[in-house]
Amino acid sequence: MNYVTQRLLTFPLILLGVSVIVFVAIRMVPGDAITAMLGTEAGLLTPAQRQALAEYFGIDQPIYIQYWRWLTGLFEGNLGISSIYGRPVLAVILERFPLTLELALLSMVIALAVGIPAGVFAATRNERASDLAVRLFAMIGQSTPNFVFALLIIYVLSVYFGYVPAMGTFTPLFVDPLANLSQLIFPALTLGLAFAASVTRISRSAMLDVLSDDYVRTARSKGAPARSVVWHHALPNALIPVVTLSGVEFGYLLGGAVIVEEIFALPGIGRLVLDAINQRDYALVQGTVLFIAFNFLIVNLIVDLAYAALDPRIRLGNR
Amino acid sequence: MMGLIRAIARHPSGRIGAAIVLIYIVAALLAAAGLTPHDPLQQFRIDRLKGPNGTYWMGTDLLGRDTMSRLMLGIGQSFTIAFSSVALATLAGTIIGLVAAWWGHLWDGVLMRIMDVLLAFPAILLAMLIVAIAGTGTWTSIAAIAIVYTPIFARVVRGPALSLKQRDFVDAARTFGSSQGFILTRHLLLNLVAPLTVQVTLALAWALLTEAGLSFLGLGTQPPAPSLGVMLSESKNLMTQAPWLMLFPGLAIMLGILGFNLFGDALRDILDPKTQGRAA
Amino acid sequence: MMHWTNTKRLLAGLAVATALSSIALALPAQAASLRMAWSQDATGLDPHKQTAFSSLRLLELIYEPLVRLDADLNVVPAVADSWEFTDGGLTLTFKLNPNAKFSDGAQVKSADVKASFERLLNEETAAAARSNFLSIASIDTPDDTTVVFKLSQPDAPILVAMATINAAVVPAAGIGTIETTAVGSGPFKLDSWSPNEKEVLSANANWAGGKVGVDGITISVLPDETAILASLRAGQTDFALLNDPLVATLVPNEPNLQLNAIPGLAYNVLQLNPARKPMDDLKVRQAISCAVNRQEVLDTALVGEGKVTGPLTMPAYASDPNSLFCYTQDVEKAKQLMAESSSPDGFTAKVIAATGEPPVASSEAQVLQSQLAAIGVKLEIELMELNVYVDRWLAGDFDMAVAQNGGRPDPYPMYNRYFTKDGNLQKVSNFVDDELDSLLQQGRVETDVAKRKEIFQKFEARLAELSPWIWLSTSNTYTAQLKTVKGFVPSPTGTLFGLSAVTIE
Repeated sequence: MNYVTQRLLTFPLILLGVSVIVFVAIRMVPGDAITAMLGTEAGLLTPAQRQALAEYFGIDQPIYIQYWRWLTGLFEGNLGISSIYGRPVLAVILERFPLTLELALLSMVIALAVGIPAGVFAATRNERASDLAVRLFAMIGQSTPNFVFALLIIYVLSVYFGYVPAMGTFTPLFVDPLANLSQLIFPALTLGLAFAASVTRISRSAMLDVLSDDYVRTARSKGAPARSVVWHHALPNALIPVVTLSGVEFGYLLGGAVIVEEIFALPGIGRLVLDAINQRDYALVQGTVLFIAFNFLIVNLIVDLAYAALDPRIRLGNR
Repeated sequence: MMGLIRAIARHPSGRIGAAIVLIYIVAALLAAAGLTPHDPLQQFRIDRLKGPNGTYWMGTDLLGRDTMSRLMLGIGQSFTIAFSSVALATLAGTIIGLVAAWWGHLWDGVLMRIMDVLLAFPAILLAMLIVAIAGTGTWTSIAAIAIVYTPIFARVVRGPALSLKQRDFVDAARTFGSSQGFILTRHLLLNLVAPLTVQVTLALAWALLTEAGLSFLGLGTQPPAPSLGVMLSESKNLMTQAPWLMLFPGLAIMLGILGFNLFGDALRDILDPKTQGRAA
Repeated sequence: MMHWTNTKRLLAGLAVATALSSIALALPAQAASLRMAWSQDATGLDPHKQTAFSSLRLLELIYEPLVRLDADLNVVPAVADSWEFTDGGLTLTFKLNPNAKFSDGAQVKSADVKASFERLLNEETAAAARSNFLSIASIDTPDDTTVVFKLSQPDAPILVAMATINAAVVPAAGIGTIETTAVGSGPFKLDSWSPNEKEVLSANANWAGGKVGVDGITISVLPDETAILASLRAGQTDFALLNDPLVATLVPNEPNLQLNAIPGLAYNVLQLNPARKPMDDLKVRQAISCAVNRQEVLDTALVGEGKVTGPLTMPAYASDPNSLFCYTQDVEKAKQLMAESSSPDGFTAKVIAATGEPPVASSEAQVLQSQLAAIGVKLEIELMELNVYVDRWLAGDFDMAVAQNGGRPDPYPMYNRYFTKDGNLQKVSNFVDDELDSLLQQGRVETDVAKRKEIFQKFEARLAELSPWIWLSTSNTYTAQLKTVKGFVPSPTGTLFGLSAVTIE
């Protein structure tokens, strides 16, 4: 069995595993949609009222029947109805996803735009002061939790610039690009910083690897200008690990940045799943987590396939 | 061992990383011994929300408690959770990885697919779900973080274990009749020490980060005991009145993670000659 | 020094981005639409079922009950013009306002009132306020504007109980779609709702209460109250609901902002569980009551925002807290009581509290912890997510609980559920006392206001002395607004109905 088929076969298996775990786990969390809706007032319900509500939320059946229902629904493209929104889960997710996608793309653009030049620059100045400075910054960037950075940004901007984070209403890119960017630029910077730091580090070390390779040395010895050697001969090859890393990071970002979305009041996937857990919206939790896992696995699969295509050794081996 | 310590001391970023981690450990031990500038839990109510000054070097919080003393105690709490959870994850991950590699076939397939399932969850979400089920507390935080990072150790161990399994010296040991357990522990583990050590150090940085994230969302350490994430989360709504409440724990988290990262990189350089001088 | 240029570039970039954002946001909003913000969104649209604070505040703008409470908690007309108790308190007759119309233009008729209350009383509806209306035996509608409630027993508090949005009059024809479409007779109608994002309301031209001062209201959800404050400060929000006293105290520092603080009916309380040892011992409970410095809890954990209170929080019935048992901290007496109690050497107890609900719960628990340590009572705080807390609270599964419980404008519905023998939250209080039970029953039947006050004063004094719970303070309810917003009158019930009279300069 070759590598690609093997990956494709385990793919649905992993998703099934994710769905079982999240299905059981969310039901093990104390409280349910009823207490989430009524709070302490839920104590005023009679057993009959409680039963009626449980039926309404579809949580009156044994768990395996609930799971079977949900799974069969899944194959018809039906992820269930969200109890918070009273709408199909898939519709709610797809409404939130553009923001998360845009934020992830924006962060990646920032990360690549800052990280690759910085990494290449550092590699060409190996062990000189400017290399050390770039490495130190990259290290600090990688070590700053994004919520610390988010709080710092908000503090500085609100105290010194009178800036206000995005209002609860998210403006889609096509409606008003300017308003949209003003809402996303700081969250994207927050997420892009640590990402850029990783890109810097990986492109620096990849570049160093490539620069020591024979064909680069040959190009150099033939008198090709240093700048051209770096950018035309070495960089394309050094980019392979950068692509891999960016892909994996991007996969994570598609899962939504729970804390950053919370701090910047952005209605993305991360906050959706947080709200869903807090309000015990089982269908929404299941749908969102499955969606996140699906994206993560797809992106990883694509990255792996791309990597395999670029590097023939992988295709044969079995990782 | 002494050689390793000397190598770290010679390595520039290793030196800084080791120094930071050491300072943190000393601060945590001092706090554990009760040697903080003030009682970290005592509420000096007349001195509430005082900025940094001669008495309270890092200011006081809403209830009039000394930020510096709480920071020292909080570092201890965060480190305890980080070290315990990484220890657990290393143990569990190593066992799973070895079992998968050694017995192969079905074991390998099943165990590694379970690990894949766990990896497909965003880390903070998985930890949140576990804490929500088991209730908040130091032990649940430790368990949650350990579960989140177990798959990474399982993968780290399985790869080298698989290739070591094919190598001559294991075969040789087998033919000479050593028991399987002996082969496993002696040869495989010895050869796994290098990649594991590096992974442990880096995982400590992530664990610190995850703990802070959980506490920040109110799902970690319970009051009145502080952890770095709790302190940061408490400071959020006081940001404009008392920025020092945010600044010091924020810096402390950052530096702590930086310390482990630097230390981990140095270890990687030293233990894995292939990347010598490469990692920044 | 590359990193230096980079920093400068970054700063320049930030400045540009900030400028961009202020341009984008300075675009004029709809001229006379009120931009409002809150941190927690409504959770549903069915006025009979919703209990979440934000849901009630939203629905009060859209629906109307028969009567409502003014800022002094007097009962005033809403859908009903007038009302009268007759037949020894067994008949309650309402005359409806003939001009009252739903937002779709249909007149509010007696049949709608009847349908609404029948829905409320139907057990399957699971209406939040059902238990307050169990004395209704039948509802007659002699004509379109007259509704007659026949009661099975005298029930004085029922009139006040009707003055909540949980007893809203909904159109009989629209009951099938009530969870998704809000058609009410209130000052505003709901144009759209994206949960956890925003609500768009527009003035209801059909409202019988007169012309609304603004064209509409856009409510945005901003989960972080610091961000709400920033948004107000920048003039991007006209009006906001605030929960966190810490944030509220910052509002008066801003020259363009005004804070409306009003003591609410809800109370902060340390609930003891007398079903568990040693809280079953009266002396232990009293010792705890004497050891607590309520003013200090208020001053530190709640940054002084609110008032020390006894069990009754409605101004018409509340006694002076200083007249209640041990309301002045007395550590000596507390130690004495502990020494005489079943646990002379002190004990350890776990206290549960919810994260962020109220925002001060954690600080409150920590101050109480330090105060009770003085008499050898060691508290272990268990902070948990709200739903988990609710589960434990409902099951009575705690030694002690830091809680913020909702108040009612009338003492009977406020406490009958906890402290009568068949109260449906009996298992939360775990406390029964014959005299308290009998005082509550007397208060329910008595319609004479002066006599009721006397009854409930006795009730309050006894409750404080038996100390099943340690009542601490009321919290302020806050709204903040730009000074350009005029005419808002806050109410202790927290209602935002006052927005119907607001204008923007």
